[in-house]
Amino acid sequence: MKAQKNEQMVHRFNKGFIVSHWVQAISFFALYITALPLYTDFFSFLYPVFGGPEGARLLHRIFAVFFMLPFFVLLIFDRQGLVNWTKRILTWKKNDFSFFLAFPKEFFVGNDKVPKQDFFNAGEKLNSLLIIVTTLMLIGSGLILWFPANFSQSVVQWGITIHVVGFSLAMLTVVAHIFLSTFHPNSKASLRGIIKGDVPVSYAKEHHGQWYDELVEKGEIVEEKKKSKGA
Amino acid sequence: MTAYAKFVDVTICTGCRGCMVACKNWNDLPIDTQAYNGTYQSHDKCDGKTWNVLQMKEFETASGGFEWLFRHQACFHCTDAACEKVCPENAITTTDMGNVVIDQEKCVGCSYCVYNCPFEIVALADYVNEDGKIVQRAQKCDMCDSRIHEGLVPACSQTCPLDAIVFGTKEEMRKLAEERLAIAKEKFPNAMIYDPPGVDGTNMFYLLPEGPEAFDLPVNPKVPTSAVIWKDYAQPLGKMALGGTVMAVATAFITNKLFNKGHGHDEEGGDIDESTKE
Repeated sequence: MKAQKNEQMVHRFNKGFIVSHWVQAISFFALYITALPLYTDFFSFLYPVFGGPEGARLLHRIFAVFFMLPFFVLLIFDRQGLVNWTKRILTWKKNDFSFFLAFPKEFFVGNDKVPKQDFFNAGEKLNSLLIIVTTLMLIGSGLILWFPANFSQSVVQWGITIHVVGFSLAMLTVVAHIFLSTFHPNSKASLRGIIKGDVPVSYAKEHHGQWYDELVEKGEIVEEKKKSKGA
Repeated sequence: MTAYAKFVDVTICTGCRGCMVACKNWNDLPIDTQAYNGTYQSHDKCDGKTWNVLQMKEFETASGGFEWLFRHQACFHCTDAACEKVCPENAITTTDMGNVVIDQEKCVGCSYCVYNCPFEIVALADYVNEDGKIVQRAQKCDMCDSRIHEGLVPACSQTCPLDAIVFGTKEEMRKLAEERLAIAKEKFPNAMIYDPPGVDGTNMFYLLPEGPEAFDLPVNPKVPTSAVIWKDYAQPLGKMALGGTVMAVATAFITNKLFNKGHGHDEEGGDIDESTKE
């Protein structure tokens, strides 16, 4: 979303949060692509690109290290963001559940009657939880597969299966996440939040009503007195 | 397709290790000297360089007597082969004769087969690829595919001086095994045919003088449950779900373009005071 002139902005994410997000995102795709030929041999043509199976394996391990960093980036550089995120995605109230009733319409054609949402809407909460769970699955099983000699054969066998379930589930989540944040006309304004760190106040009010109310209450923004047409 | 089988009569094996030598010879396998580990057994177990190993077990009989148990250990050529199931490159296949072979040019050395073999037979070993580079590829006994498809018997079977390794159709071999079992029962009351049903039978099967435990063999080997979940459920469902999600997203992209009147924030805002802090 390009910020319009005179558009009022409100801070949403710190630098640490943003860096953490993109390290996760880029390494996820790098990992996905370097292992894709092992998932389906339709992509075997990728092997020469990575310098053969050996090259693909090496790259996969290098990106795996980056994939393990985001949590520590948050822990060191944006503990406040980490706490806020953790607390909020674990809080589920009535509006969060009723969000999903309104969501299908919102997803396909837009819906004016989405219940007031928190700093993270219920979809973002679900997205966060799925990504955390699948990331832990992938890192845990990935370490087993990286160092199989330290584990019994059946642990390694389950490691492969968990890895497959993990990245399949993660990819579904990621496809939906990218669509909603980048291409969906109603929510793509949020993309600016994870790049520049702020979002338009109007977007906050419309999509994160509870957060907006919190901000007003704290006096961080002044509530608009009347609705007026912007540019 | 007629299934062929290698029948190994463990009850009459004398442990001469002729099969090991013949195998190395025919398959051009490298020497792999392993350190003495306190037994007469030359190698710990089968691996990518040594496709069959003569296992030597010192066995105490029920009456307190001593018995040498000698077992020709090699790939079992499972009918329901876990290695073939998990191979992502279709490098492992079952031929029309029922033996399971690995195409080393297709193999990428991912080790999935190594981790999922119920008998821990297949292993990675040096392989010189098309570019002349030494890479690690999955290797194991192919039941002398190059011989049996030319009407010969496997090298181990050819060389066995005691008819302890016999090759023929699975049917003939089952019949022979039953005959041999009847004889063996006189000396070994616990004798049994080891042709495990958990992997739909194996095309290398045994007549054992004692139960499988005596040879460190799995009692009921089967394709690992994790591999079934992975290959029969997680992978196809994962692909379908990904396809479904992409379709849904593509549909939503179009329907939003067509029907979303836009309650986007663009219509609002503009004169709100900005006084934001952290």
